[in-house]
Amino acid sequence: MGQERAQKRGSATLPTSTAPTAVSRTARTLRAGNRQIHKTLNNIKITILCGLVTILVLRGTIGFSSLSPDTDLENQAIIEETNRILAEIRSDKDPEDDNQNQPTTNLNDTYTLGVKISNWDHKRSLWLTRNQDFPNIVNGKARILLVTGSPPNPCDNAIGDHYLLKSIKNKIDYCRIHGIEIVYNMAHLDKELSGYWAKLPLIRRLMLSHPEVEWIWWMDSDALFTDMVFKVPLSKYKDHNLVIHGYPDLLFDQKSWIALNTGSFLFRNCQWSLDLLDDWAPMGPKGPVREEAGKILTASLKGRPAFEADDQSALIYLLITKSEWMSKVFVENSYFLHGYWAGLVDRYEEMMEKYHPGLGDERWPFVTHFVGCKPCGSYGDYPVQRCLSSMERAFNFADNQVLKLYGFRHRGLLSPKIKRIRNETVTPLQYVDRFDIRHSGQATSN
Amino acid sequence: MLDRVFGPRRARQFHRLLHNGKITLLCLVLTIVVLRGNLGAGKFGTPEQDFKEIRETFYQYRGKRAEPRRVLEEIQTTTEQTTSSSSTNNYAEFDINKLFVDEEDDVKKNPNEPYSIGPKISDWDEQRGEWLKQNPNFPNFVNPNKPRVLLVTGSSPKPCENPVGDHYLLKSIKNKIDYCRIHGIEIFYNMALLDAEMAGFWAKLPLIRKLLLSHPEVEFLWWMDSDAMFTDMAFELPWERYKDRNLVMHGWNEMVYDEKNWIGLNTGSFLLRNCQWSLDLIDVWAPMGPKGKIREEAGKVLTRELKDRPVFEADDQSAMVWILASQKERWADKVYLENHYYLHGYWGILVDRYEEMIASYHPGFGDHRWPLVTHFVGCKPCGKFGDYPVERCLKQMDRAFNFGDNQILQMYGFTHKSLASRRVKRTRNDSSNPLEVKDELGLLHPAYKAVKVPSS
Repeated sequence: MGQERAQKRGSATLPTSTAPTAVSRTARTLRAGNRQIHKTLNNIKITILCGLVTILVLRGTIGFSSLSPDTDLENQAIIEETNRILAEIRSDKDPEDDNQNQPTTNLNDTYTLGVKISNWDHKRSLWLTRNQDFPNIVNGKARILLVTGSPPNPCDNAIGDHYLLKSIKNKIDYCRIHGIEIVYNMAHLDKELSGYWAKLPLIRRLMLSHPEVEWIWWMDSDALFTDMVFKVPLSKYKDHNLVIHGYPDLLFDQKSWIALNTGSFLFRNCQWSLDLLDDWAPMGPKGPVREEAGKILTASLKGRPAFEADDQSALIYLLITKSEWMSKVFVENSYFLHGYWAGLVDRYEEMMEKYHPGLGDERWPFVTHFVGCKPCGSYGDYPVQRCLSSMERAFNFADNQVLKLYGFRHRGLLSPKIKRIRNETVTPLQYVDRFDIRHSGQATSN
Repeated sequence: MLDRVFGPRRARQFHRLLHNGKITLLCLVLTIVVLRGNLGAGKFGTPEQDFKEIRETFYQYRGKRAEPRRVLEEIQTTTEQTTSSSSTNNYAEFDINKLFVDEEDDVKKNPNEPYSIGPKISDWDEQRGEWLKQNPNFPNFVNPNKPRVLLVTGSSPKPCENPVGDHYLLKSIKNKIDYCRIHGIEIFYNMALLDAEMAGFWAKLPLIRKLLLSHPEVEFLWWMDSDAMFTDMAFELPWERYKDRNLVMHGWNEMVYDEKNWIGLNTGSFLLRNCQWSLDLIDVWAPMGPKGKIREEAGKVLTRELKDRPVFEADDQSAMVWILASQKERWADKVYLENHYYLHGYWGILVDRYEEMIASYHPGFGDHRWPLVTHFVGCKPCGKFGDYPVERCLKQMDRAFNFGDNQILQMYGFTHKSLASRRVKRTRNDSSNPLEVKDELGLLHPAYKAVKVPSS
């Protein structure tokens, strides 16, 4: 009873004793809550700290840009930059272009190639006498200078430059074998005589600077030598000053605009040639002069389409209208000083089977000229496939004749690869005597 | 929980300990990372390498390659679908690689056969001497002081991968044609791979050997890379200096024989005499060339033996350095390492000085004042990737070309409007007495081109 009361009292006193426990409990919960908050705060602090440091370290070592998902951006920038550079190189823009318009010759102005020279033969022979160590005849052969060229800027497409390269290699090979020097021109010597007319001031300049040269041989960049053995029979032309491929009947009877071909011709270094060049040039200056001249030529020559005056039509017109020039012009067609490619390129295999180099004519053409193909431009007059495969075939056809000395040939006329046709030997000089075109007596002339 | 184990105070201590431990560990890790990022940790790598590795593995899965240092590609502009390629007249649409047809297969080589550049010839000097006696029309000396020289260069028979590469090859060969015409040197432009095993920079070896044996009249063969250009048109090589030597290369004796430095000499432009010694040298030079395992292994040997050589397959230049350095007694007395003029001139140190040269000097020196050859090593204009930026390479090649071309044009009274320009302008007026006008450099009719006048 008493215990109960005590208990009750105890329990009665409980409420009073719970009051301090309640306080300490809230204090404890408060303390626990405080700790909780502290912990959370600490965790947040550490997280933020770690995050900051990670970013700093990564930025320091790698950099923001690489973290961007599109690393193609850098690549793209490089490609765009290089394309810009290529476009700049390929364009005709030049850092030295004047802003003002180029003055073109008026119709009434007379254009001259240069200061008139009237006694070139005399001056030249005087020079030759005084400079005996630069003779115009070396080892019994008259000195020839082969002149060719191409524009100074890259072709409209890469294939064009590649075939220009193959073409000059072809000419280098022929000229090395035959002791002919080459001038490869890439400069426009006269702004007005541009395009196909550019050869006129060039030829004149070279004649006057090289009196030791007897013959200047102009050859287009799209003409390839396909007979490495054949030599131009200069003795045939001792009374002539211009040797050009063509057909007299086409020239005089039909007045055809393709009666002659100025893609490959020889000019003697003499007064007559300078005079002819002076007479030839007036139709050339670009602008209204060339346009008007073009109309005259289209009207006068058979089959000529309407376009500005070109050097070939102008020469034909000149020789027809002033036929006194013809006495010193040799119109050659007994061999292909210029050989129109379309009729020749398909027959190379047949030629290799039946004939041999040195003939120079339709059996084994001296020169295969790819008129109309224009690989340096964007568009040609013929399908590209046909032109390029034919040029490749002609190049390899000629290259086989050069490689023969070394014991190789191409694996087919369309193949850049070569194969052996002769085993290596410890006595190579026997083959040198047989196969070197310069030594063997294979060089024939008509 | 810890309260129950340790008691509340202890638990708090423990927590604090744990907390401090965490912070310490964190700081330690940070320190290591930062130090590694800044100083590198040797074989443990750097963060950049890590990143690159991660990126590369990532890209592998995405099917992309790591970007090269320089890319030269042409973005194909969308061309309208016109007629089929067989009848198109438009050159831009044509794929040149469809043109080539090999009518025969490659000759299968017996892999067990050791490589040989050709049958061993031991009496070449006698054979050649005899031939020269029998062929007096083809003397090996065009003048008493001037040997007959054949300049050999070349490029691939297929178009360049780079759309303007062929244009620069064309300019380069024009440049060589001009120099050689003035100096009476013949040119052989090679476009054929004579030996499929010796491809790449080694292709010149079988070619040189073949040319030496096929042209006994040639006294010196001058190999020149396609990316080297003549920039001094007036400089004639000092042939007298080499009368007792068989191989002339640009280089320095100390760098080759003492240091064994892989760029101690340069095989981009060198002279080789046509004689037995040269054939023997080629026989010793060739074995490191055959592509495949031999070239790879040889590359490792060369990287190990030569100073500063990076790791890549064997190249002809390093092989030459190694041969000269390790077999000095056999070869050195006939080798001349020329450095008095730029038989090869590294373009990087020359191209920016052209205007200064024009102002202060004149052609004919051949050395640092007016370099004979500017060699664009590393530019690789025919390929897609080079070691230098595109713009620098191509623009400088244009400048070097014009620098050389000006010396040719001045013969005819012209010059380029500037070194960057393709256009030309007159430097002298047309004259009615063209023969009175002398070209300043005397290149039109130089003494070394004079023909021996036969005494009648």
